[in-house]
Amino acid sequence: MSDELEFHHRVSQFLFHEVRLIDERRWAEWEALFLEDGVYWAPATPGQPDPVNHVSLIFENQLLRKVRIARFASPAAPSLQPFPRTAHLVTNVMVDRRDAKAVAVSSRFLMAEYRRDAQRFYAGAYSYDLAPSGDSFRIRQKKVDLINCEGPIESSSVWF
Amino acid sequence: MATLIDKRPATIDVASLVEPDRTHRSIYTDPAIFDLEMDRIWHRTWIYVGHESQVKEPGEYYATTIGRQPVLLTRSSDGKFYVLHNRCAHKGALLVGDHCGKAKELRCSYHGWRFDFDGKLLGIPLEHGYDDTRFDRTGPEADMPRVRAESYRGFVFASLNPDVPDLKSWLGGVASSIDNMVDRAPEGALEVAGGVMRYEHDSNWKFFIENLNDMMHPMVTHQSSSLTARVVAKKELPPDAPVPSAIEIIAPFTESYSFFDDMGVHAFDYGHGYSGGKTSIHAKYSDIPEYNRRMDAAYGTERVAEIMKVNRHNTIFYPSATIKGAVQTMRVVRPVAVDKTIIESWTFRLKGAPDEMLQRSILYCNLINSSANLVGPDDQENYRRQQVGLHSTGEDWVTMHRDFGKDEEIEPGHFYARGSSDISFRNQYRAWKKYMTEGARQDVR
Repeated sequence: MSDELEFHHRVSQFLFHEVRLIDERRWAEWEALFLEDGVYWAPATPGQPDPVNHVSLIFENQLLRKVRIARFASPAAPSLQPFPRTAHLVTNVMVDRRDAKAVAVSSRFLMAEYRRDAQRFYAGAYSYDLAPSGDSFRIRQKKVDLINCEGPIESSSVWF
Repeated sequence: MATLIDKRPATIDVASLVEPDRTHRSIYTDPAIFDLEMDRIWHRTWIYVGHESQVKEPGEYYATTIGRQPVLLTRSSDGKFYVLHNRCAHKGALLVGDHCGKAKELRCSYHGWRFDFDGKLLGIPLEHGYDDTRFDRTGPEADMPRVRAESYRGFVFASLNPDVPDLKSWLGGVASSIDNMVDRAPEGALEVAGGVMRYEHDSNWKFFIENLNDMMHPMVTHQSSSLTARVVAKKELPPDAPVPSAIEIIAPFTESYSFFDDMGVHAFDYGHGYSGGKTSIHAKYSDIPEYNRRMDAAYGTERVAEIMKVNRHNTIFYPSATIKGAVQTMRVVRPVAVDKTIIESWTFRLKGAPDEMLQRSILYCNLINSSANLVGPDDQENYRRQQVGLHSTGEDWVTMHRDFGKDEEIEPGHFYARGSSDISFRNQYRAWKKYMTEGARQDVR
């Protein structure tokens, strides 16, 4: 039991750390959590089987994540003036599968975003495919299932 | 000239709000104008409803709106499609409450009235209660009313006003954009595939439609995404690496002014038009060899060359839809209020083409049309800034003067100008004014 508790604690801490890096805009550190071939995926339909044959709100490999990060630093993005502030809350963390090479974790999240004098909320489930790496993990895939993913949905630029 | 006080006259003289080279700011901000637009444009002309492939089998339905009115696209057991008012003949409840599906019949969730997919009444519980009353169970008031609908190569448009020209005449010069998109399929047909994204805009519908062939905006609005993508790709990728499809898609948004000028803009009656033609920002995508092979096998190299030399960017079917034939995507405009619009993004499978073609359309949609992508939010923010800015009474008029008077009439009703021209705006508002003033006469009945 104590090993499981300790593992659950480490996984939870990793999830909290990951979204904290977004909220604190530590983009390079955040990106480095992903494996080189890691992907970030926010489907546009509940139960969407894959990101290739169906549209997605976001489906990003490392190159596209880096483009988004570089865009964050651009003074020429009207939708990012002023830059939105976010608070990601992560809860209901469950380790679904675990072996030496892969860990599957699910959780629920709520993200509050403050932009242009208004606060918006996004809610849903995170599913992580993690690779153990020393005492911590790297992300093979972070999947974000928004409860309202099929919309209508407003503009957003920061990762859920 | 600016007015000091923002006062609205008791009756709106719509004709005075649009001049050949400028529009009055109130057409974007006044809820009363939006109401008139619903009645005189959206409820009076051809509006895109859906694609025939969304209702392949009898019993399939797709629920949407025409302006403010709920309608259904259905496939009936006679094999034909119908567009029906989504309204029970009994007490007016929606017969279909979701977006799409398949059913045995259309049964009202309130009192159980049942209808067939051609709109005909099938049955009423305790039907004899209507005996000897003025309600005729076999008359038209007992059915779901049909809306006049026509398909052009699978694209279904409908009009709440039966007194419109036939669809093909109305499409005129932009029917060829649908032709080219369909001709790009080895089997000569398209089907909706890959899902839909619905993007909420807090701005007037006309900003979106105007922006489509506004060739002066991409290099400014999309600098932070397109130019950045070029820089990051150059830095991250080895010099001899093939350019990833994503970069092929994003990078051309910051082509030079002269590139967009050369794309050109074509304008037709009813507000329709397209940009590009001989070339567009989609012209340099990498070949998908298996697709080329299947196209050659289906049409022969000469015909394939003819099809592929047409490379258009956005084609506008004013006021409700726009396609990019070269990437098989479509966006549909659903106005909600004077300052609220929903834009749907659809992708199409070219029948007979390898999956890579659909996957490229999907990639395009993800990168350019998603609410959470790198490109759309900057467009949306600029529309919102217009929506707020045009409440200013500091100046009443919005300019459309660029290259005014220089449009070239290629053939009767077909106008052309270089990409940087305001021709697309002027053409849309010529149609807008016609609809809004001719509609006025039809309203008096």
